[in-house]
Amino acid sequence: MPYQVLAFATGPRRHGNSETLLDWVLADMAGEPDIAVEKIALDEVTVHPCRGCNACEVLNKCVQRDDMDNIHDKIIAADCILFATPIYCLGICAEGKALVDRAQVFRSRKYVLKLPVVPPERLGKRLGIFIASAGQNWDIVFDGAKLSIKCFFHVTEIRDRDIHYLLVRGVDKAGEVQTHPTAREEARATAKRAVERLREMNR
Amino acid sequence: MDPEREPVKVLGISGSPHRHGNTETLLDAFLDGAKEAGGETDKLVLKSARYTACQGCNACHKSGACIIEDDLVPLFDRILAVDALALASPIYTMGITAEMKGFLDRAQYLWARKYLLKTMYFTREHIQRHKGVFISTAGTGWEHVFSGAFPIMTAFFDITGFEYYDNVIANDMDRWKGIRNHPTALADAAVKGRKVVEEIARLRVGGSPGGEPAPQTR
Repeated sequence: MPYQVLAFATGPRRHGNSETLLDWVLADMAGEPDIAVEKIALDEVTVHPCRGCNACEVLNKCVQRDDMDNIHDKIIAADCILFATPIYCLGICAEGKALVDRAQVFRSRKYVLKLPVVPPERLGKRLGIFIASAGQNWDIVFDGAKLSIKCFFHVTEIRDRDIHYLLVRGVDKAGEVQTHPTAREEARATAKRAVERLREMNR
Repeated sequence: MDPEREPVKVLGISGSPHRHGNTETLLDAFLDGAKEAGGETDKLVLKSARYTACQGCNACHKSGACIIEDDLVPLFDRILAVDALALASPIYTMGITAEMKGFLDRAQYLWARKYLLKTMYFTREHIQRHKGVFISTAGTGWEHVFSGAFPIMTAFFDITGFEYYDNVIANDMDRWKGIRNHPTALADAAVKGRKVVEEIARLRVGGSPGGEPAPQTR
């Protein structure tokens, strides 16, 4: 069975810079015979913010019924998860943050209920890729977002060392990433490394 | 009224989906302290506001105005008219809540006015006399649990002309079993609420920043 690659484009601006980076990585990965790609744009589905009710600590599921029901299962089934966001106000965009926060159900399962999030034989074989674009050129522009995304991957059983990053600064206007001197090449390298790593982990 | 004698206006904004939870309770303690010091306090709960997140359309980069008409544009007008702004959000997944982020990102049109169009400008004195405070609680006891939120607050207060003045934060809520059981957090929040009002009042009459607080008038 091919490796299941699940990608989230979380930005409100469709086909913007972060989604373009995501599409480049996905296109390169999909070119490999053992990769099956699925992309979800949050703009096209409904994922409400977490209500902070903590019911998942008891129920082992979320009390909200929306597209997260489906996404929840896909997250568990995936071998590789890509998360793409533009940086707004030095953080993940609000839509992306809602998805991250809804992973609370995995956190409750793992740390409170102490139940498996993925079958034990899948542990250490899942890969995460965080893709972000920022208008600013500051060194620290991705730091806040990375803290949240690490939690998202950790609770979905993707180890810190198995998170790859594709972060591009200084692109603000629509389409600006297209003319970035190194972004396309970086995306190609990210895809190549990810496919190699997936094969290596699952050997 | 003489502007120096007008009450110091303090607005608290709660970004928690949870009414009267740990963070909102901490905000309430801060606002109570501010009120005790003579501040005119007000609280807005984002959960009951009608708004959508920034669409990233960048229309404001040309016009300086947001194309979305909802509760947030009047709220930003209110924010620009207060002396102290307390932004309260619990930490979810190492960051602020999606509701709070959805609200803060909408300040993009103010960012555009300040940095692109240069139609909005705050003097050094204005920034000194306008204080921003971040109020938060987190379940875990990790020391760095607020680190993801700080840069966001820095950016927002900078855009809206507030000095990022103070943090009213308490971690380890899971262990304390709620803010009410925390030994010092609520009392500290009230002290900080008083302090911010007194500091602004003192600066208005020509005091230097960070000097001795003015004697309490009650």
